Amino acid sequence: MTAHPGRRRLLAAAGALALGGLAGCASLGAAGTAALRSAPPAGLPRRVELAATPFYPQEDFQCGPAALAMALGAAGLATPPEQLARQIFLPGRQGTLQVEMVTGARRNGALAVEIPGSLDALLRETAAGHPVVVLLNLGLSWAPSWHYAVVIGYDLDAAAFLLRSGPIERQVLPFETLERTWARGGNWAFVVLPPGKLAASAGETQTTTALVAFEKTAPPLRAATAYRSALERWPGSLTLAMGLGNSLYKAGALPEAETVFKNAARRHDAAAAWNNLANLLLERGRLREARDAAQKAVALGGPTLDTAQDTLRQIEARLTASASPRRKAPRDRAARR
Amino acid sequence: MRLKQTLAALLIVSTTHVGFVQTAQAAMVGTEAVAQASQGAAARSADEARSQLNDAFARADVQARLQALGVDSRDASERVAALTDDEATRLAGEIDKAPAGGIIEVILFVFFVLLVTDILGFTKVFPFTRSIR
Repeated sequence: MTAHPGRRRLLAAAGALALGGLAGCASLGAAGTAALRSAPPAGLPRRVELAATPFYPQEDFQCGPAALAMALGAAGLATPPEQLARQIFLPGRQGTLQVEMVTGARRNGALAVEIPGSLDALLRETAAGHPVVVLLNLGLSWAPSWHYAVVIGYDLDAAAFLLRSGPIERQVLPFETLERTWARGGNWAFVVLPPGKLAASAGETQTTTALVAFEKTAPPLRAATAYRSALERWPGSLTLAMGLGNSLYKAGALPEAETVFKNAARRHDAAAAWNNLANLLLERGRLREARDAAQKAVALGGPTLDTAQDTLRQIEARLTASASPRRKAPRDRAARR
Repeated sequence: MRLKQTLAALLIVSTTHVGFVQTAQAAMVGTEAVAQASQGAAARSADEARSQLNDAFARADVQARLQALGVDSRDASERVAALTDDEATRLAGEIDKAPAGGIIEVILFVFFVLLVTDILGFTKVFPFTRSIR
């Protein structure tokens, strides 16, 4: 090859970019980094390092279990990576899927909240004391090498993130490098929190999704704790109020659940809230109040209509039984249509 | 053949399970239903039966794939049980192609590449490199 020196340099540059694609020149698509440089987010410390985050060196392809174990440990829910491996590692894929990273966190008592895919969110979460699990693509978009790492801090002056990554306990990764490898992984990240704590950067939708999933397997009182803190932040949410009410109900805390359902029913005039209030009142033997609530639920219609009619029927049956235990009441049949 | 049997058995177990939960708490509206309704997924009650069936299929499918990918059967059923309906559906569709994070050698590769780009002058990561430019 008798290439022109300039041409050769160009070829080398193209080759390097194609090979790594990881850390080309700063002007190449690292918009987030440029924004951070020109205007660092207000109200955040210049430097954060969550040094108390435990470190589990990765074995074989087990970066998923290792990363999750570190995040769980930092949330006060220490779980050995070997135990997590059985719960989330997929031998046939030599790795761990995103969905199972999230279920793995929940199975060990934590909330897993997806956060926005911005560098700003990474700064905010670590500054709030929450390590962030990120999915990076260390390869190329067409030849991916997926890897989970834990962001444990940053240094604005050095323009770098601090990570626990694979076998490296403290990796200093330039903003640009993380931005690019993270973008190639779809900018996917989540935080692992004990119930009662909220993510610093996640919105109402992401938080609610995490909470509803958490409720399905969590002990009811823990779910209630988690819902309560979210409801304080977003008091206008019907879903959060219903989640709190349902969790309290499942925990057997009926008076508290009643208050929650009653407030939600009045505030939102929602059929689901009236229906659940009616059931709870029925269980507590306050049949007339229960019937009023159930009638409101039926009148509102919507997708819960069948359930509400069911509730009303049960209440009326109980009312009839308690009003005239010996003879059958024809009045009731009329009310039923 | 065995896959079919497993699928059938699972389907029976999961559908009867769904039925049981329904009768036990028939009259309470669960939080998931409220969340779905508030996210605009209306007309759910009409599709309820069908979506429950789909859900059961998705779960049976995921369980079978997990086992095929080397998870032992008890672990696999626990893993399926931990999924929400949405997650089960998503996973059923992408278990073979979704990103599975696990690479280790690549980290060394990254260092190597950064070293090269440093030397070429595109980056300045390592203090000991001197750009050729």
